[in-house]
Amino acid sequence: MTIAQVFDYERPETLDEALEILIGHAGDVRVLAGGTDLIAWLRDEAVAPDLVVDIKRIEGLGEIVDEGDALSMGSLVTFTHLLNSEPVAARLPLISEMAATVASTGIRNRATMVGNICSAVPSCDAGPVLLVYGAVVHTVGVAGTRRIPIDEWFLGPRMTALGRGEIVTKVLVPVPPGGHGAAFVRLSRYEGEDLAQASVAILAPPDHRFRVAFGAVADTPVRARRVEALLEGKALDPVLVARAMALVSEEISPITDIRASKEYRLRMSEVMLQRGLKAAVERLEGNGPSYGTNLM
Amino acid sequence: MRMDVSVTVNGEPWLLSVEPNDVLLETLRSKVGVKSPKIGCERGDCGSCTVLLDGHTVRSCLVLSVEADGHEVVTIEGLDDEGLTELQQFFVDMNSFQCGFCAPGIVLAATELLEENPRPTREDVQEAIGGNLCRCTGYDPIIDAVLAAAHAGGEATG
Amino acid sequence: MTTLRPFERESTRGLDFVGKAAVRVDGLEKVSGAARYVDDLDFGPDLLYAEIVESPFANALIKAIDTSAAAAVPGVTKVVTGKDFPFKFGLYMKDRYVFAQDRVRFVGEQVAAVIARDPKVAKRAAKLVEVTYEELPPIFDPLEALKPDSELIHPDLGDYAHVPWFYPHENTNIAHWRKTRKGDVEQGFAQADLVLEGEYRVPRYAHCAIEPHVIVGLYDQSGRLTMWSASQSPYTQRHLFAEALAPLGLSHKDVRVITPYVGGGFGGKAGVSMEIMGAALATAAKGHPVKIRFTREQEFYNTYQRQGLVAHLKMGVKNDGTITAIRHILNWDAGAYVEYGANVVNAAGLSATGPYRVPNVWIDSKCIYTNLPPGGPYRGFGYSEFVFGLESHVDRVAEAIGMDPVAFRRKNAIVEGDILAYGAEMNPSGLIEAIDRTADAIEWGKEETSDDPNKAIGKGFAVFWKAPAMPPNASSASFLKFNEDGSMNISVSGMELGQGYMTAMAQIAGEVLAVPPTKIRVETPDTDRNPYEWQTVASHVTWSCGNAVYAAAVEAREKIFDVVHRVHGYEEESLYLEDESVRSSTDPDFKLPLRDFVIDGLEDTDGTFKGGPIVGSGKFMPEFTSTRSDPETSQGGHPNVHYTVGAAGVVLEVDRETGRMKVKKVALAVDVGKAINPSLIEGQITGGIVQGLATVLYEDMRFGEDGRLLNANFTDYKIPTAHDIPEETIPIIIEIAQPDGPFGARGVGEHTMIPAAPMIGNAIKDALGVRITSMPITAEKVALSVLREKSEE
Repeated sequence: MTIAQVFDYERPETLDEALEILIGHAGDVRVLAGGTDLIAWLRDEAVAPDLVVDIKRIEGLGEIVDEGDALSMGSLVTFTHLLNSEPVAARLPLISEMAATVASTGIRNRATMVGNICSAVPSCDAGPVLLVYGAVVHTVGVAGTRRIPIDEWFLGPRMTALGRGEIVTKVLVPVPPGGHGAAFVRLSRYEGEDLAQASVAILAPPDHRFRVAFGAVADTPVRARRVEALLEGKALDPVLVARAMALVSEEISPITDIRASKEYRLRMSEVMLQRGLKAAVERLEGNGPSYGTNLM
Repeated sequence: MRMDVSVTVNGEPWLLSVEPNDVLLETLRSKVGVKSPKIGCERGDCGSCTVLLDGHTVRSCLVLSVEADGHEVVTIEGLDDEGLTELQQFFVDMNSFQCGFCAPGIVLAATELLEENPRPTREDVQEAIGGNLCRCTGYDPIIDAVLAAAHAGGEATG
Repeated sequence: MTTLRPFERESTRGLDFVGKAAVRVDGLEKVSGAARYVDDLDFGPDLLYAEIVESPFANALIKAIDTSAAAAVPGVTKVVTGKDFPFKFGLYMKDRYVFAQDRVRFVGEQVAAVIARDPKVAKRAAKLVEVTYEELPPIFDPLEALKPDSELIHPDLGDYAHVPWFYPHENTNIAHWRKTRKGDVEQGFAQADLVLEGEYRVPRYAHCAIEPHVIVGLYDQSGRLTMWSASQSPYTQRHLFAEALAPLGLSHKDVRVITPYVGGGFGGKAGVSMEIMGAALATAAKGHPVKIRFTREQEFYNTYQRQGLVAHLKMGVKNDGTITAIRHILNWDAGAYVEYGANVVNAAGLSATGPYRVPNVWIDSKCIYTNLPPGGPYRGFGYSEFVFGLESHVDRVAEAIGMDPVAFRRKNAIVEGDILAYGAEMNPSGLIEAIDRTADAIEWGKEETSDDPNKAIGKGFAVFWKAPAMPPNASSASFLKFNEDGSMNISVSGMELGQGYMTAMAQIAGEVLAVPPTKIRVETPDTDRNPYEWQTVASHVTWSCGNAVYAAAVEAREKIFDVVHRVHGYEEESLYLEDESVRSSTDPDFKLPLRDFVIDGLEDTDGTFKGGPIVGSGKFMPEFTSTRSDPETSQGGHPNVHYTVGAAGVVLEVDRETGRMKVKKVALAVDVGKAINPSLIEGQITGGIVQGLATVLYEDMRFGEDGRLLNANFTDYKIPTAHDIPEETIPIIIEIAQPDGPFGARGVGEHTMIPAAPMIGNAIKDALGVRITSMPITAEKVALSVLREKSEE
């Protein structure tokens, strides 16, 4: 197991200390939380920082807090922590459903949801889910705090709105008022651990102002606004859903790579939208498949 | 940049001198001499490097040694001072493993499962060991042993 | 060959250990963490590490190598290139160099190596080795390589040393061409009521043992070379190292190979692949141990891969289902070096009729060089590859004549005494029983439907067979010794890969000597101490080494009876062993514990001692095999010792829209002759089925246009997890004794993978009406095939 490249390592105890280090360092810096992406990238030499800043000692970043009409998740909250959280399961079931599909226990015990959206690979699982929930990313930098709506977070493959010298402190996820049904559907090559070749997150609120977001089929996770507009406020019937499916090719731009072909990704995105909408509405009405059921 | 790391491994405190780019898996194997976590893929895909870090399974190939400072690592050598745990005995008696390379990681994953969920379903076991690749067994004999151990444990505690 | 051994005649009590599901003798070590694999061994602070410099091109001349920058890095002890080791090596053909010489033939081929104190330094310095290449046009398609005007990948093919039963065609890319001709296929096709042709494509696959290859070598100051190797074949490795490094004056006795536990082999750790570099680098660093540990990526692209195949099959049948003729053309993508892989081609070329009675046979099996990683031994050794096409084709033929595909197979199933494609006779085997019991297990004939309108359920069937593919004189030897307390050590050089070989050997010896396997240790190989074993491949060591262990145990027993006779007077014919003691059929009160004398000898009436340490030695080599046959027809030889046969069936649920497949039930019946340990046989069935299913359902090797392997990791080359297993697996063990096997046993390790791909292909056809003739049959392929069919309607 060899990481040949050389870098320094700092482990600040407070946010202020961390920011000082980030600002003060002239070269390439990487923030280390769970490390399940960063360590592999260091070994593969996909990144070449001279300094790695480990934020795991900083207090206050590891909590899930009930803020009333929202839940906030600290940047050090792991996927396991999310999965074990009853408030998350009860009030934001799509996050629980998504968290259970991420990798495996040994990865989830370290990997953080915030790390997932900071790595921002096009197939990142948390992306579509946070998009439909309308999450807000809270950061802190030398210039102060920022609140970045998730719509403005993903800028491109592995590119986010996070600035130099900034650290994410938490993600605030509003709880849709009046209840909701939801579904997170994922295309993978088999039942086992796999990166998504396509994914869709669907939010079905009581007023049927659906929110739909796709992952792994564009440079970033994307909201499917045409589909949303088509479905808004309506009862779903097969004809309407078929029309929605026909719009999918306008919403996404899948590629052919070693994991899947463009054609398969596109066709499956349509199928996933169909199955996801059905499950989300059934769950809204209280008689859907339990969260975590694989619809594919 | 050499750094000192204090880490407890299988109940024993160690003071190690490491570089930031020393991965925990390699440090455990070469500096501490604990051989059960294996090098299989170096990307966190195969699970053969699994250790318990503060009681939770992690892929030690994705942890820097410096991150372990102040923490506790347990591997299968440290599960039981006397010998094998009941779960391990079931694995032996039911011929669960073949080449054995995945065994340490799977033993820890199953140990973690039974501590958190003494009455797992078959699907729970599959999920718990889902990140540990085994090329030899087809997994059934492993899953059977975990369920048998869970069942026996349930009877024992009544 | 069917006479029973004396032991079996006298044994009326049944077997105590053989045939029982004994606990593995290595289980405790592996579950406790005590088991040691090569990378776990410590070699002290003097250990050096090597990093390999690899070719980025699939086909290129090496114009120059500048190692000066790398050599200057502090901590680097040496940099070596091909010039330092201009030695050829190879198992069946010597077509490979330790490091590339004047040209490279696949992306990833080793060109140079940097040896350093610290692996990080080696890794950094390796990047500084500058190699100047002149690119040549690469060939990746075996059919392209066959064209008369194509580039020669091995222009010197005609000069390569090889075993006499290989037929290279110089000035072509055909490294070997096995031709089997029996009867007259044209007449056979003329007699047929139906003739069907088909083409089937099978890509390359990777073994993916969880332990990567690793080698440590020490060429000590006295000139003795010791290698610690994660290998299935310590003796073959020793031989190849000694041969390749012969210019250094090494005698076999001065080369020692030690193999501790191996973390999975599947054929990939047979022969010699990356280990040759370990041996060479050891000699370049005299006095210091040197380690090469392959990364998972290197494991994928620079150790043996399973060859790719383009197969063309033509089958003639009568309306009643009788096969009249088979023509099977096998064009193998064998890779850049075929020193081992050519035997895969050879094996398939002898057996590509499948387990059927076929009067007229034409097989061409061509080993074709391509600019891809070297092909080599992989569980199944060519049989999985050709059985995919054959067993898919059989279903198509049966359908064409309106016959049930299982009934078709049953009708043509080969039985004892039938003449094989190369003229020898088929051994005893229970194929009919396997077919019948498998068909029952999956309720063949009963259609099943799913409640889910998206899902269809199909059933698929396949038969399989395989013979060990070995030189005619592959052999095994065994020592065994008793200890003071009556326990035993068995010394053999077969490799415990996980298959349970050590346990089987203990059960065999224990049965003969009436000692429970729990009191028997089987030692991992060390060529200094353990006697010869050709290799642990071919699913043959239970049979071959089992016979050697049996012989050693019998010899030890003879010595036991001799000393008891000399001191106590009982006739040897009246003596037998029971419960670790010597008993007499003429004196029921006589019970002499072995522990009393197996080291110390027996005290005689006059106070002297007779006997002494009881040791046994045994060997086994088949004396009826021969590769001397007509090169144009393969008639006249007896290349294969015997076949293991079986059948498998699957109940498959498939989602019409997504193509996602779920194996609801799979049954596999295999005739093992005698199950030495039924639990271990079931382990091979369960594990082999899962590995076989993986090759058809989702393992998918992808090469770039430049010949680089794009998915050299588990992130993108998917192997089964605990989620990816059948809902129900039904193992069926059949026992039609192998007359020359220990207690009737024959091998089973590879066979359980072989039927997976065609039975899935046949189940998909049953469920969706779509016939897919290329592997892998992924969800994507199924979904897009269904869509294509729909749009064509």
